[in-house]
Amino acid sequence: MKTKADFPSINERPPEGLKEDGTPYRVLVIDDSMFVKKQISQILTSEGFEIAGTASDGEEGFEKYKELYPNVDVVTMDITMPKMDGIKALEKILEFDKNAKIIMISALGKQDLVKKSLLLGAKNYIVKPLDRKKVLERVLMVLKKK
Amino acid sequence: MRVEYINPFVEAAFNILKEVLGTELTRGELYLKSTSQPVLGVTAIIGLTGDVEGRVLFDMDEKTALAIASAMNGEELKKLDELAKATITELANMITAQAVTKLSEIGFKFDITPPAIFTGEKMEVSDAAVEALIVPIEMPLGKVEINVAVREKN
Repeated sequence: MKTKADFPSINERPPEGLKEDGTPYRVLVIDDSMFVKKQISQILTSEGFEIAGTASDGEEGFEKYKELYPNVDVVTMDITMPKMDGIKALEKILEFDKNAKIIMISALGKQDLVKKSLLLGAKNYIVKPLDRKKVLERVLMVLKKK
Repeated sequence: MRVEYINPFVEAAFNILKEVLGTELTRGELYLKSTSQPVLGVTAIIGLTGDVEGRVLFDMDEKTALAIASAMNGEELKKLDELAKATITELANMITAQAVTKLSEIGFKFDITPPAIFTGEKMEVSDAAVEALIVPIEMPLGKVEINVAVREKN
């Protein structure tokens, strides 16, 4: 029987989702679309990140953040969501943890809201449609920034 | 209805479909309907309200919807479940957001409602007192019709 170990490694690069100590970065994904949640989760887990939790609106997202804290390294936050939108949830999370690393996920045409969230303390943003390169680049940028 | 309203939707649909599906697209003949018209079986609807008001439909048959959702998820989806519907909804959202951005650049300001999705057979849509412009987009995965009915607010 063949196992993965039988194949030579063609890629020695360590997965980007691991910290220096070898443990994965933990991500909280907040988005009301099941599709977008799955898309972000797949991209990140394929690079070794761990999805610490997901939430479908701002309120649930804020609760999840408090529950996970301090074992959460980065948050992806949709802007348009029911109950509590991403801007309000961003404010709430930053009130609770001023060092929270939050990346806004936005549809095109929400420049004003993106700008507002950056002024409020979001670390970066990604405009949909999402792809692997965009998501990994922005998440890593936020995590590696000293 | 003025054609200038529909062009941003068609352009946005081309851009987004190309980007998320990486596929070839051709645009069919644009046509106008003022009476009831059949819809294809899976229809995402987004409302528009502001300087112009109305709605846009993204209309396709179930086979096409499944093929698109499968391609966007990178796995074969066999039935139109919650994930498949969420995927088509997100597609409609991205196209509309881009179209609205283009329209706001030429001076039309309005908001969009969260998308909803209808599925079923033998459905029709009627828009009282608003003509609908329809642009079919052909892809190897199937056909999507962009159906826009808007009017200027007085």
